[in-house]
Parts: sequence; C-alpha cells; structure tokens
Amino acid sequence: MRASDLQSSFPMVGRDTTAVQAARIIAAQDLAGLVIADRAGAPSAVISAVDVLGLMVPGYVVDDMSLAGVLDENAAEEVWDKAGQHTIGDLLDDDGVRKYELVRVDADDTILEVAARMADARAQIALVNGPLGSPAQFVTLPVLMDSIVTFCAPADAAHADA
Amino acid sequence: MSIQVILALAVFVGAYILIATEKVPRVTVALVAAALMVIIGATDEKGIFFSQDSGIDWNVIFLLLGMMIIVGILQQSGVFEFLAIWAAKRAKGRPFVIMVMLVVITAVLSAFLDNVTTVLLIAPVTLLICDRLNVSPVPFLIAEVMASNIGGAATLIGDPPNIIIASRAGLTFNDFIVNMVPIIAILLVVFIGLCWLMFRKQLSFDPTMVARVMALNERETIRDKILLIKSLGVLVLVVTGFILHSVIHLEPAIVALLGAGLLVLITRLENRKIFADVEWQTLLFFAGLFIMVGGLVSLGVIEAVGQAAIEAVGDNFFAAAAGLLFGSAIFSGIIDNIPYVATLAPLVNDLVQAGGPAAEPLWWALALGSDLGGNATAVGASANVVVLGIAMRNGHPISFWTFTKYGLIVTAVTVTLCLPYLWLRYFAGG
Repeated sequence: MRASDLQSSFPMVGRDTTAVQAARIIAAQDLAGLVIADRAGAPSAVISAVDVLGLMVPGYVVDDMSLAGVLDENAAEEVWDKAGQHTIGDLLDDDGVRKYELVRVDADDTILEVAARMADARAQIALVNGPLGSPAQFVTLPVLMDSIVTFCAPADAAHADA
Repeated sequence: MSIQVILALAVFVGAYILIATEKVPRVTVALVAAALMVIIGATDEKGIFFSQDSGIDWNVIFLLLGMMIIVGILQQSGVFEFLAIWAAKRAKGRPFVIMVMLVVITAVLSAFLDNVTTVLLIAPVTLLICDRLNVSPVPFLIAEVMASNIGGAATLIGDPPNIIIASRAGLTFNDFIVNMVPIIAILLVVFIGLCWLMFRKQLSFDPTMVARVMALNERETIRDKILLIKSLGVLVLVVTGFILHSVIHLEPAIVALLGAGLLVLITRLENRKIFADVEWQTLLFFAGLFIMVGGLVSLGVIEAVGQAAIEAVGDNFFAAAAGLLFGSAIFSGIIDNIPYVATLAPLVNDLVQAGGPAAEPLWWALALGSDLGGNATAVGASANVVVLGIAMRNGHPISFWTFTKYGLIVTAVTVTLCLPYLWLRYFAGG
C-alpha cells in the first residue's frame, strides 16, 4: 500500500477565514486541525484545532486564566459573538502559536515512510506531492492509523501467542 | 592607556550598543561580553566569583531569585485580579475613578513585585474591565505601566536598579522607605492629575455599561484560598524581615531565599509551578553585566573615571545630584536602566566614598533618575515593552510615539519634581 492509496482531499482555509468559519469546519468534519493555504491557494502550513479554539477565547482570558470565571453567561455570549472578528491571519501572525510545517510525502511512498515522516514531525496530516496544478491531496492520521492496524495481528491473537 | 584597557572599553561600548539596539538578545550580549573580558584578561575566576568590588553581586542575583519564586507562587492565587475587579465595582464603572484605583493598585503592587510581573497581572484584567465598559483600554494600560515604573521606585525590591544600588551602597529596605516613599507618594498624586489632563477626553462614561461591570464576579478569581493565605503570609513575613534588618542582621537576599524556601515547603506545589516565573535569562543577564563592569573595575577604568568625576564635582554635590538625576533619566529612557545602573553604581560609590555623608543623596538621585526615566519612551523599561505586546495581541496596538508622547510629559514632570525634593531634603540645610 502506498501514500496514493490513502490520499483524500482535505478542507483548506486562508488568512481571511474567520475563527467562527474555521470552527464550523472543524466541528462539522470532526477535524484535529486545518491546512492553511497561502495567497496563491497552495497548502502551506497546518494549525491545530486547539489553536483555533484559542483564537475564539478573548486574549485577556488566554493571558490570565483566572479571569475566565468572572464573566456570567450573558457576558460569555457576547464573547462568542466577538470571536468572529478574529481571522486565521491573526493566528498566523501570533508568535505564540505553533505553525506546523506541512509534511510532504511522495505518492509512491510506502506506509512506513509516510508514518515515519509524520511521527518525526509530530504531524496529523501530510501533503501528497502531485502533478502541478492538480487538486491538493492529503494523508490524515486516522486514515494512516486505520491502514496500519490492518497489518497488525488482532489483539486476541496477540494475547494467545503470549 | 594599555591595549588591554582599550580592548575592555571596546567590549563594553559594543555590548552597550547591542543591548540598546536590541539586535541580539541582551543575555547573549552580556554573557559574550563577560567571556571577552575574561579572554582579554580583564578579570578572572577570583574576580568573578569572590570579589565584592568586581565580581558577580550575589546579593542581587539571589534577592531577585527569591522574590521571583515568591511572586510566582503568590500570583497563582488570583488576588491581584480580585483587587482590580473589586476596585472597578467600587468605582461604579466610572472610567476615571477606575483608572485612579488601578493606578494606585499598580503603584503599590509594583513597590513589592517587579514591574513586569505587576503589569502582566494587571493588564489582562484591565482589558476585561474596559471590554465590559466598552472604552479603549489604551489610556488605562499606558497609565498603569507608568504607575508601575513610579511605584517600583519606592522600595528596595520594587525595581532592579534599586536592588543594585542597595547592594553597592549598603542601603537597607528602611533607607528606601524613608528616602523614596515621600517623593514617590507626591509623584503618584501628581501623576493622577496628569492622567486627568492627558486622558480625560478618552474616558467617556456610559451609564448603560455599568451593569456589565457590576455583573463581574471577582470571587471567581480566587481559586485556591489556602494558597492565597500561605503566600500572602510569607510575603508579609519577608517584608517584615526586610524592615527588621537592623535587628535580625539578615541581608535581603537571605530573607527572600528563606521566604521562598518556606513557601515551597508549605505549599508543596510541583516544581513546574514553583519555578515557572523565575526568569533565568534575567539572572544570567545580571551575572554577565556584573562580570563585564567588573572587568572595567579590575583594570582601574572605573576608578579613573570616578577620580575625574570627584575632581569635577568638588564639593558641589547638589549640582552632581541634579546632573545624575537628569542624566540618568535621559539614559534610562533610551537604554535599559539595569546595565546603566550596574555601570554607574561603582562610579557613584567612588563619589560617595570621597564626599562622605554629604554625597550620599547621590544614590537617591541615581535611583530616581534611572527608575523614573523608564517612562520616557516605549522602550525605556521592560514593563513598557510587555504592555505594548499585550495591547497588540488583544487588538489595541499602542505605537511607539503614542506611548512616548505621554511618556516624555510624565518623565519631564516627575523627574523635575525630584530636584526640589532632593534640594529641600538633603541640601537646603547645608
């Protein structure tokens, strides 16, 4: 099995995408992160869903967690309304947020090669290099794991061997 | 002038330029400069580790370390946020009254905590309060950071330059209280008046927003009452230890370390939380600076400059104090006041040694000038840079010139007011 057998499309967001739009994509598709497209529309980096969550929380609460409890429910609603004002661009410009370099694999890489690269980079997603101009294709961690476990002995059999 | 002295001076000047321009991290500059001083033979291991005149000032390093541990634990209690929200509610949401209360809280806190810690604690809660009031937090943040630079001047532990001055001059916590608190109290009142003049047009009061402030629940900030009681208790003990120096004969560094040890023992927090706020880079920066300046002391450069200063000053110590006050304010507005005071302290020590008690007010002139000068520009003090960063991250950028136009006014007024204080307090009778 090769990387090309595992690849699929993956939602990408740009600098102008708001935090709320990004959150909707994450929530709807149960994602652990998002791929960020550069100004030309090509995938350039990966951010985690947790960082998108951080973008929706007011900066003063991120700076001082003890303030989270002082706001009542009504005030909290206003906070979530305001979350829409922030964009993924704000996140990219924040030095405190880790932007993961996009791991790149070749279409004919074996699963072991893909797994090794993703494990080394602690990446949840890898871009499969394809022909110029073709839609971007990715290998995600759940799909990779799913294919790896098919090679492993069933848990019950492993126990019996032991 | 020998080649060794020329090389040492080149290292010193180069390091100063690099620290001022911030092209390279200041700790890197200080440590490389210290290493170069060793390589050119300006100092050695005995000078670095064991000399009181030219070595690392361990009193300063360990006092800072002890206080960083205590404050790092205390700030986890949420007491500062409680105070700020409580004050905003007592002010019934009126922006200028809130500003006055936050300015006073910040100034008092920064007399006991370092200025960066103080603004890190007060800035987020200020943003919250301003968000609830729907007013710009910019005037509040500028006022608070300036209040922290003013309040920090009041005590031995309030600002790192004071710690250096106290150690070099042999001044006690009580000496600072007696000599600095009166003028700082006056300056704080004047500063509040300046805030009214500078910011009143930006502080519009909207009565419909008051309920949003009154709905804040400050009690939620106190997550761990036991930790609060323990850490406040230890802070009170430590400050009492500073005040009772003449009775217990323990140096401030020892008192702070004992307090930190006691707090670690009784709170039993995990190491990560105990040492989270210890700024190891700052401590290394201090060590590097002491070695760098110590190299000049060992080579006799400081003594030669000190001798020239003694001859120039003669017995006109008021003129020297005025020069030191305004010169320090100008320098501290441009460069970090820590290396400035680390360099000036041995020089002033020479002047005071030569002039006797009549020259002792020079220490206060140095402290006032270097502490208050930090308000002059956006880069004059570390706390200013930190607040500008917080404001930027939260979508309220404060430009260099926005800060500096207010900073120059505040610095000019506060430093100028120190001159009649110095004259009336120390020179008028003579």
